[in-house]
Amino acid sequence: MQRDAQLRTEILELVRDYYQQRYASREFRPGVDLIHYAGRVFDAQELVNLVDSSLDFFLTANRYSESFEADFADFFGLSNSLLVNSGSSANLVAITSLTSPQLGDRRLRPGDEVITVAAGFPTTVAPMVQNRLVPVFVDVNLSDYTAIPSMIEEAISPKTRAIIMAHTMGVPFDLDTVMRLAKEHNLWVMEDNCDALGSRYRGQLTGTFGDLATVSFYPAHHVTMGEGGAVITASDMLGRIARSIRDWGRDCYCAGGENNTCGKRFSQQFGTLPYGYDHKYVYSHIGYNLKVTDMQAAVGLAQLGKLEDFIARRKANFDKIYAMLKPYEEQLLLPHATPNSEPSWFGFVITIHKNNAFTRSDLTRFLEANHIETRNLFAGNLLRHPAFMNIEHRVVGDLANTDTITERTFFIGVYPGIDDIQLDYLNSVFTRFMKGERVN
Amino acid sequence: MPQKVHCTITQVIDHGERVYSVFLKPDSLAPRFRPGQFLHLALDPYTPGDFWPESRVFSIASAPEDRNILRITYAVKGQFTTRMESEIQVGHQVWVKLPYGEFAISPESDACLLAGGTGITAFTAFLAGLQPDYPRGVHLLYGARCPELLIFRPLVEEACQRSSHLHVLYMVEQDSNGTDYIPGRINLDLVWKSLPDPLVVTYYLAGPPEMLRTLTQGLAARGMQQNQVIIDAWE
Repeated sequence: MQRDAQLRTEILELVRDYYQQRYASREFRPGVDLIHYAGRVFDAQELVNLVDSSLDFFLTANRYSESFEADFADFFGLSNSLLVNSGSSANLVAITSLTSPQLGDRRLRPGDEVITVAAGFPTTVAPMVQNRLVPVFVDVNLSDYTAIPSMIEEAISPKTRAIIMAHTMGVPFDLDTVMRLAKEHNLWVMEDNCDALGSRYRGQLTGTFGDLATVSFYPAHHVTMGEGGAVITASDMLGRIARSIRDWGRDCYCAGGENNTCGKRFSQQFGTLPYGYDHKYVYSHIGYNLKVTDMQAAVGLAQLGKLEDFIARRKANFDKIYAMLKPYEEQLLLPHATPNSEPSWFGFVITIHKNNAFTRSDLTRFLEANHIETRNLFAGNLLRHPAFMNIEHRVVGDLANTDTITERTFFIGVYPGIDDIQLDYLNSVFTRFMKGERVN
Repeated sequence: MPQKVHCTITQVIDHGERVYSVFLKPDSLAPRFRPGQFLHLALDPYTPGDFWPESRVFSIASAPEDRNILRITYAVKGQFTTRMESEIQVGHQVWVKLPYGEFAISPESDACLLAGGTGITAFTAFLAGLQPDYPRGVHLLYGARCPELLIFRPLVEEACQRSSHLHVLYMVEQDSNGTDYIPGRINLDLVWKSLPDPLVVTYYLAGPPEMLRTLTQGLAARGMQQNQVIIDAWE
């Protein structure tokens, strides 16, 4: 073995030792340690991959990114998976892709309407505003927090061109209705699958129904690479457009550090450029630079190997918390899956029933004081936020449930870092609260 | 999504006239690819994580369904293929990266495939997968220097048996004695005589640069629009 390879092996062995010393045996201390709503769950392999990638010192996307994209596409059974630097960037790339002139008459244009929900994360909607599309908001069901199917149908107008929504908290929205309407009205469908990696609808993975889907790899999500996300699609054309928008808008699809993979670098005609103008510097879209580093992908690849186990543990934790809180259903609205769906849960969402003796704030303050992290259902009603109050939009019906979420809903974690000891503690804290204990 | 794959050569067929087929077995399953796509093959060593070495482009002649074996066919034309001829043997190990390219035959219109020599490899995966219910007519003109270099003739004949929509003419440049081919090069006079309506088909061209140049100019002169002529050309 050459000296550099030998040194690399030794370094990676040391990394494994470091993991054992630093991270392997951490015990949960009830009432002292936080029960996070989400977080990184990893073993030595993530650290080994990260250091291995750093020793390559390629820095930009390379072998780990290639492997991740291939394995991730295989997970979905799709032909295109494109790493980007966040789930929000994935939404920006995916939605902007639908505005590409290369889509001809079907491209989204300024003023076109997109049906969505206001109860969610801002960066599902922000790229619509950034592309001068008009979001049309419909209300959501309480308990599954996804769009009310009849409202989606009601929202369709002659200007409607797309349905773009999240499978909120891992719960698939009504894909039967959405895909039927898309077919009937020739609409694009983009699934924001950031919360729902591994969720299924009628047995099929979410993210594989629409024209495009997005995934997030932020540490709160099902698998992580720190910052990261992906756009997935079965369409080679959309895949190529998305790659262009991710990579500065250029027409060339060579990976960083590569040249002439198309074999036509100096022999094509574009616009009014001189014939044979270097394809690497030909721009077919108004694009961004939203790429990942290979270090991120290296961590992600190790995580991907754990995905099926993570999904199973999320489901198991959800079921245990559900059983634990079922006695309090008169006070708490517990979460439910939509019909025909099998969520890979992002969190355990609770809405406080109206006219309870306590408020959301009473409960979340108590949980937080007892080291149990809580989070609101993201933005609640987006239209009540300063950034969104004055955007061009349309609302169909009212957003009564969305407002309820804003005022009375929160969630706690189900992520695989939560074990039975933590769940027992969680149970004891809820029990104390339900018996009347409060934070002063 | 292109991936770099380490492969072992499992078979080399010498077709004569310095034309070879090479079968490559990837260490792991090759990435998904589509008919008409191509791969890059490198002869120099490559260390994952480093920069990719010099490579050349070859159509993937094998069917996308079989990701365990990749086939390419090449004619010795320059320095790189001369190196391939001398270095590539059974057991030899190489790196390839794939898939690339968008040379896809559209089912939106009838297609006329003009294949010269090893250019047929741009069409073999499509022909191997051609089903009886393919919705359009496909006309193939397949030319080679000599009858022995109509290497993929058996595959073409099988496709003809499967699909009545496929119509084939074989052409041979350097031999005029056969009865099952037409002597000479692929030319547009013959295309115009053979096709029921040559103005409404899409033309797909793959073959030597001179053939591509001549046919492209000829098609333009006959009024074909740019989007009706798809060329599989590399530098």
